[in-house]
Amino acid sequence: MSLSLWIAMIIAALGTYLLRLLPLLWIQRRLTRTDDDGPVDALPKWLVILGPMMIAAVLGVSLVPRTADVPGWLATVIGLGVTLAVWRRTRSLGWPVVAGVFTFGLMVVATRMVV
Amino acid sequence: MSDIEPSRQSSGWLTGVREAMPLLGGYIPVAVSFGLISTQAGFSTAETLAISALIYAGASQFLFVGMIASGSPLWLTVAMTLLINVRHVVYAPNIAPWLPQSRWWPWLMHGLTDQVFALAHSRLPQLPASRRVGWFFGAAMLAWLSWIAGSLLGAVAGEWLTSRWPLLGEVMPFALPALFLVLIVPRFTSRRWAAALGVTIAIALLCTLTGLTNIGIPLAAACGALCFYMIRLPETAGPTRGGRP
Repeated sequence: MSLSLWIAMIIAALGTYLLRLLPLLWIQRRLTRTDDDGPVDALPKWLVILGPMMIAAVLGVSLVPRTADVPGWLATVIGLGVTLAVWRRTRSLGWPVVAGVFTFGLMVVATRMVV
Repeated sequence: MSDIEPSRQSSGWLTGVREAMPLLGGYIPVAVSFGLISTQAGFSTAETLAISALIYAGASQFLFVGMIASGSPLWLTVAMTLLINVRHVVYAPNIAPWLPQSRWWPWLMHGLTDQVFALAHSRLPQLPASRRVGWFFGAAMLAWLSWIAGSLLGAVAGEWLTSRWPLLGEVMPFALPALFLVLIVPRFTSRRWAAALGVTIAIALLCTLTGLTNIGIPLAAACGALCFYMIRLPETAGPTRGGRP
């Protein structure tokens, strides 16, 4: 990379870091000022609602399988079903994901052999 | 409030590492792809690693190397990279109420990606305050190092890997939707929340299918929040395990 390219990369990196850091510094100051209300109450309501929505959006974006054909979609639906079923039994983070990935893999292989 | 002692932080970092393991299924295949594309675009292995370590934001890295390779002006490349990453501004404020005072947070914010945020937003409220810095360090460090390692692997052996184990690259990324599903399900605590979250997921999915992945996350989240404010469905009490409002 040329020097100008390195500088561009560093500006992009620094800018991305500041996008993550500056809102923290802002809200920490706000939380310190309104400490009596309790931390969650001190957050703006829209922000409290936006948090879970961002997670739901990341889920929606990640749902599309690498190969978006019938076997891929079928494996996605069944894999999510198994993930959900295991979560309802275990209420843990790890096992539902392991079971979901395993089922998804099996379904991809199985449906490709049939379809 | 005093800083959390290092000895108390250390008890949480292993939990953070363990709980961030599912992220590897999504991070490594995507990082391998990035490493491969970056070297194909003319970047050296060291340059690829520098981009992954310093920018550390998946979609914008692909855009960065793609725009550079196509000869776009540098200012436009930087502007577009930052525009994609603007969504990060809502992450830290959302987890801030569960961040005990510590001088480490400013440094740890480099690791606040979409996925680490989703994990932290669900897990931090459930952890004792004394373990949160350690937990975040463990989770964020594992994610960051796996992203760098995946980029290295992709840069030096990406072509060989993708041709030898194509199925692995297709199956492992499913760890991400599976993890996010587990993180979001406890939030379906009422019909109002279910409707808003459902709208968000559907719009994000549609955006991805129509090639608008980058704008999909903030757009879908904004639509979901709007839906939450506009509809007035009866609040049905449900399981609130690990969840906030």
